[in-house]
Amino acid sequence: MRTRFLIVDDSELVRKSLRTVLQANPDWEICGEAADGETALKLFRELHPNVVILDFQMPGINGIETARRMSEVAPAVPIVLFTQHASPDLERHAREAGVRSVVSKTNAFPMVGMIEALLGPAESEPAAEGSADSGKGHAG
Amino acid sequence: MREQEKVNILMVDDQPGKLLTYEAILNELGENLIKARSGKEALDHLLRTDIAVVLMDVSMPELDGFQLADMIRQHPRFQKIAIIFISAVHLTDLDRLNAYQRGAVDYISVPVVPELLRAKVRVFADLHRKTQQLETLNRDLRSLSARLLAMQDEERRRIARDLHDSIGPLIAALSMNNGMLAQQTKKLGPDVADVLQQNNQLVEQLSKDIRTISHLLHPPLLDEIGLLPAIKMFAEGFAERSSVKVDVELSPEIGRLPPHVEISVFRVVQECLTNVYRHSGSKTASIKIAPSQDKQLTVQVRDEGKGMPRTNGVPSSPGSNHGVGLRGMRERLRELGGTLEIKSSENGTTVIAAVPVTKPMVKNI
Repeated sequence: MRTRFLIVDDSELVRKSLRTVLQANPDWEICGEAADGETALKLFRELHPNVVILDFQMPGINGIETARRMSEVAPAVPIVLFTQHASPDLERHAREAGVRSVVSKTNAFPMVGMIEALLGPAESEPAAEGSADSGKGHAG
Repeated sequence: MREQEKVNILMVDDQPGKLLTYEAILNELGENLIKARSGKEALDHLLRTDIAVVLMDVSMPELDGFQLADMIRQHPRFQKIAIIFISAVHLTDLDRLNAYQRGAVDYISVPVVPELLRAKVRVFADLHRKTQQLETLNRDLRSLSARLLAMQDEERRRIARDLHDSIGPLIAALSMNNGMLAQQTKKLGPDVADVLQQNNQLVEQLSKDIRTISHLLHPPLLDEIGLLPAIKMFAEGFAERSSVKVDVELSPEIGRLPPHVEISVFRVVQECLTNVYRHSGSKTASIKIAPSQDKQLTVQVRDEGKGMPRTNGVPSSPGSNHGVGLRGMRERLRELGGTLEIKSSENGTTVIAAVPVTKPMVKNI
């Protein structure tokens, strides 16, 4: 079973790059895309993705609020906050809202490794609690 | 032709004949002349009308001129009114001194020379008018300055947003593409791999620079998660760029505040830290934000630098930029109904801003 990603970013260019990066792994597929938090929540409920890649600053509700609401629905699904504004304080807020990892858009190299770590050895299974810190990476 | 507004001149004398005489003399000035037959009547007028000049007899039954002057001066609103005494008696130097000590601007003896009285009253009527004009101009300037600050904030927010929305995604895409290529380095020759590595570093530097510009223009966390995370993030970035060690102590019970309060407090802290770096020579700075009493926030920024130069005992600006910064801070706080206090010595400077907040502070992030 392939790992299904929901990608959420208000920039089409970023979504396109994310598609390219994620689809390079034959076991990963993009099940849905959204450009804002409200649409993302709707798709999250409908599509049951295994992983969510979520922008922080978007029109309407921001990424942290979106993550909070997703975590209320399905707390086991790992959410990766993908942001230009990564900082320890933002990361703390993000983690309180249920985000597992924060990846800086300005240094996206660790993204793939981090997602692999989040998914654990059995890629198709949702990440177990406690594995969240293994892929921590922020560019300050 | 007079284009200016008339001012009110209050004439106080218990003798109607004298009041008529003063009226005849002062009519030529074209101001509003108001007559009062007693000290009590004069006070009634003062309470109801904005008076520029009070012309009063010293000797009156019940309330004499000196007593009336004392009562007028006790009221803060009347402390700047020009009082001119007229007296046929009480003409010693001691009497005159008495009058001046009560805040009189002149002491005229009878018989009155009409031209002299007119000239003297005209000076104070004009002074009052100019003071009023200045106050109006000051109010207009304050209002303009507040609008300019608000527009500057809005413009900075827009530019930061544009950077985020247009250049941010390009950098993110570049970074991700480079990441893809980096996974294929085995297929590339060593020279190409080296160029790719250099490109990665360039993209990272570019993104860091743009991020710094964008964050200085408008802190992204301020709108999204509030003042305290935005200040922490700014302080971290500032410490990194300036090598000034910054301690941040923020009361966690401070939740979200109205947007105009959050941006003003942020700008005050930003300006203070900029001054620490540019002017103080201090290697440390501390930021403390806490509720000081109900519905008030105290923001304190302290350094251990050389202190600010003083003008007439008051800390003042060492350079024009600094001065504008301090004035900008004061204007921002004045708009919020807050205050700014600066304590500066050769051991350092502490800036304390007090900001009223309309609602009790509740955590709501």
